[in-house]
Amino acid sequence: MEDFLIGLAAPILRGIFLGGLYVVIALGLSLVFGVMKLINVAHGDLVILGSYFAWAIMGWLGIDPFLSLVAGVPLFFVLGFFVQKFIINRTFRISLDAALIACFGISIIVQSLCQIIWTPFNRSLTTAYQLKTFAVGPVTISLRYLLNFIGGLAVMIALREFLRRTYLGRAISAASQNEPVAERMGINPNRVYSYAFAIAMACAAVAGVLQGLTFYFSPASGSPFLIISFGVIILGGLGSMAGTFIGGMIFGLTQTLGAYLSGGSLMVQMLAPYLLVFVILSVRPQGIFGR
Amino acid sequence: MVVRYKMKMPRLTTLAPIAVLVVLALFPLIGIPLSWLNYLFSFFIYLALASMWNLLAGYTGLICLCPHAFVGLAAYTMAIGTWVGMPFQVGLIAGAAVAAIFALVISYPVFRMKGIYFAIGTLVLPEVLKQWFNYWRPVGTAYQGGGAGYSVIGLAGFSLGNKYWLALAIAAASIFVVHIILRARLGLGLTAIRDNENTAASSGVNIFRVKLSSFLIAAFIMGLAGAAYFIHTPKIQPSGGFSISWLLLPLMATVIGGEGREEGPIIGAAIVTFLRFLLADYGAWSLFIQGIILIVVVVAMPQGIAGLLRRVGAYRFPVKLFQAAEGKIHKNLK
Repeated sequence: MEDFLIGLAAPILRGIFLGGLYVVIALGLSLVFGVMKLINVAHGDLVILGSYFAWAIMGWLGIDPFLSLVAGVPLFFVLGFFVQKFIINRTFRISLDAALIACFGISIIVQSLCQIIWTPFNRSLTTAYQLKTFAVGPVTISLRYLLNFIGGLAVMIALREFLRRTYLGRAISAASQNEPVAERMGINPNRVYSYAFAIAMACAAVAGVLQGLTFYFSPASGSPFLIISFGVIILGGLGSMAGTFIGGMIFGLTQTLGAYLSGGSLMVQMLAPYLLVFVILSVRPQGIFGR
Repeated sequence: MVVRYKMKMPRLTTLAPIAVLVVLALFPLIGIPLSWLNYLFSFFIYLALASMWNLLAGYTGLICLCPHAFVGLAAYTMAIGTWVGMPFQVGLIAGAAVAAIFALVISYPVFRMKGIYFAIGTLVLPEVLKQWFNYWRPVGTAYQGGGAGYSVIGLAGFSLGNKYWLALAIAAASIFVVHIILRARLGLGLTAIRDNENTAASSGVNIFRVKLSSFLIAAFIMGLAGAAYFIHTPKIQPSGGFSISWLLLPLMATVIGGEGREEGPIIGAAIVTFLRFLLADYGAWSLFIQGIILIVVVVAMPQGIAGLLRRVGAYRFPVKLFQAAEGKIHKNLK
């Protein structure tokens, strides 16, 4: 029994730490979802684009992937701003379905672009500290999982302070709470959408680095991240940072515990989060905190 | 009684599609190049998928992101069926039936979801199935099943001409079914739901049943079309059967052609087929270009090509011509 509990401790810790990665991805998704009620189905692919960007910078300049974010975050921010301004805002005026299809188009473009530039082979961000482990009592933990947790916490706190303290952040919160009223208070919704998408892209850049340190990635590996982070949003609720954080932990735990309890089956590890999303949606079709 | 006599003469608008169908059916007999039969085969498959996707997205308002679940399930049922000694023709129908049963099973949970939740809820399903079929090995040796997939056996003697006729029949059936549905009570219910679900419900439309009918029909015909494709390419793997391109094809065809218009999928499927074969040698570039086209169409002409044609009045002249010809025929009959 004691052995079982100690054995259980490692996957639990790993799950909680892995949750940090899902939190970073979900925060970007939920920001866009909050203001536009639109799920950006390209978000998973944008995360993978972030991984590839860091990988390319690493190969080119030989610097640490976290340092590459100095260039990556502003670049993704600007890119997101213009994508929203020139593509999604225009389609959003037509209908929500048109915007969804445009996002789907972006997803295809990003995926094929990654494949054209970086070939379809599996890559990973290989660093000196990537495979380092440390022991906490009887449990060994990989450093990369801890980095996910720290990264998730840092992005969450930064985003929270941004949404609370800056004018733009408050505008975004206002627009996501009640858009018609926000518009009457002098907030330009199109501008808010653009900034929200830009911040979501910046989150994707950060998530890309964390993801690349943790898993292998190929151009097609974005869709699990989209589905999991969507699950995190509906579990954690919109606009609630703490909820999103707990949601991320739950999905991380589902994955690692599912794998552990099934004896390391890859299928269960992949299926468990999907089934969780589907079950939540079937039981509460508007999401747990849906209005 | 005069009216009755007039009704006996079939209208030209009914005759014209039949004439087109007959001409298309004659193609394998008059010996046109095999490559053309190939192109047309793909066109028919894409057309059947697109017209079903149009029924769901354009007329019912269900942005269903799981055609690849139906295609993959139907194709797998057929392939596994041939391994246990079923003739592939039976497997084809059984596959479509399994796709429809799957649609029935998931209908209760997914119809509770609305709008964007429905889209994501359906997007999860093919991913789950793909993972499952990656490990499942019901029949065959260690060299089949799982990631290696199955080949459809017992196809000897089924020529390209036969496959062509099969695909033509499926495509014609899909268009005919949509045509009939739109003119029946079901079609009225569907468009009412698409335009406003609450109003439709309060006007006495049984939302669940109406949605379910169109969902089941779409699943059945999509399954049929997908399985027919895998008769032509008789090897199915999880990555091919549940490939996202089965979603991309009908979605692109419908959006480019014109969502919610009967002629939209026909135009769109023709363009998509043309693009596919034109860009076939360019690998990932092909997808890249298709993505760009998709976005340009959504931004520049959200009604699709059919909508554009209607707006510039391109149909006015042919319709006038038709009416004139019809008038002349009826005059001569009197």
